[in-house]
Amino acid sequence: MSHIEEIPCVEVLSSVVFIVEGAIEEAHNPQAISTHLSTCLACQAEVAHEQAMHSLLQDVLRRTCDEKAPEDLHRSIHEELLRQASATTGVTEVVTQFSMTEISIEIDEFGNVEHREIQIEQTHVERYEDS
Amino acid sequence: MASKDLVLESATDRNVRFERDALVFMDQLYAAALRYTKNPEDARDLVQDTYLKAFNSFHQFEEGTNLRAWLYRVLTTTFINTYRKDQRRPQLASGELEDWQLAEAQSHTSDLGKSAEAEALENLPDSDIKRALQEIPEEFRIAVYLADVEGFSYKEIADIVAVPAGTVMSRLHRGRKLLREKLADYAKELGYTTEPREEKS
Repeated sequence: MSHIEEIPCVEVLSSVVFIVEGAIEEAHNPQAISTHLSTCLACQAEVAHEQAMHSLLQDVLRRTCDEKAPEDLHRSIHEELLRQASATTGVTEVVTQFSMTEISIEIDEFGNVEHREIQIEQTHVERYEDS
Repeated sequence: MASKDLVLESATDRNVRFERDALVFMDQLYAAALRYTKNPEDARDLVQDTYLKAFNSFHQFEEGTNLRAWLYRVLTTTFINTYRKDQRRPQLASGELEDWQLAEAQSHTSDLGKSAEAEALENLPDSDIKRALQEIPEEFRIAVYLADVEGFSYKEIADIVAVPAGTVMSRLHRGRKLLREKLADYAKELGYTTEPREEKS
């Protein structure tokens, strides 16, 4: 007893962006769209055209927008980062490290201890002094 | 204790890691900044600001997540907050975003229109492609650029631009449509006949 709502072409066409993005499930009525598409040749052609145009547009945009950052921008960012870095180092940095070690115990059927469990928790503080 | 608490990293190590992992995206970020700001000087400044901001908040970046997406978020936020402060653009009315699908009365295009549109697009010079991108409104331009040049998914774009995913979808839809209309216009100027909106009843 499956009842699928019938929708007009215009509703399919306005959801093409969801199909192109590979996210048809995000459209209002994905089920109705795929049912419509399975029978409507005009909409099939339109979706195929939209997908082809989308990939063509992507190719054209990627080919066009491929500028390289100027050489002196690379240099100036690198230098600026070094400056920033030297402003923050030289300060004592304290890093606290927590660690935990677990060892399990197993006791066999005769009550003999085969393994012991040891749990060690430690807090470890390290200092970095850049000078 | 989460495993990341076991990682020790000094400020010096972190700086080295930033230089190694983040600076490789400079060309890409610069190309994006050119599209955002529309001029080389502002693009330079925007990229430099982006790297400084990213560097200073790099400790907040979670290793293992997408560094490139994170850098684009810093770039986009910096652009929106700094570079277009003066040119207050009217924001889209909220109703407009939900109604976009209904508002567009679309029809089937003819086969002739389809192939002419593709042919024109293939033959347009790069300068026209850039001009068309520059002429579409900023929120559409950013969404289309991030999706179609950088290959981010609409969900990643929602995160980068800080708007809901549905809004990104509508910007992609309208942005690409505007872009193709502009390109069809330029193609016409060059003598191609494209009638992408021709109706077939």
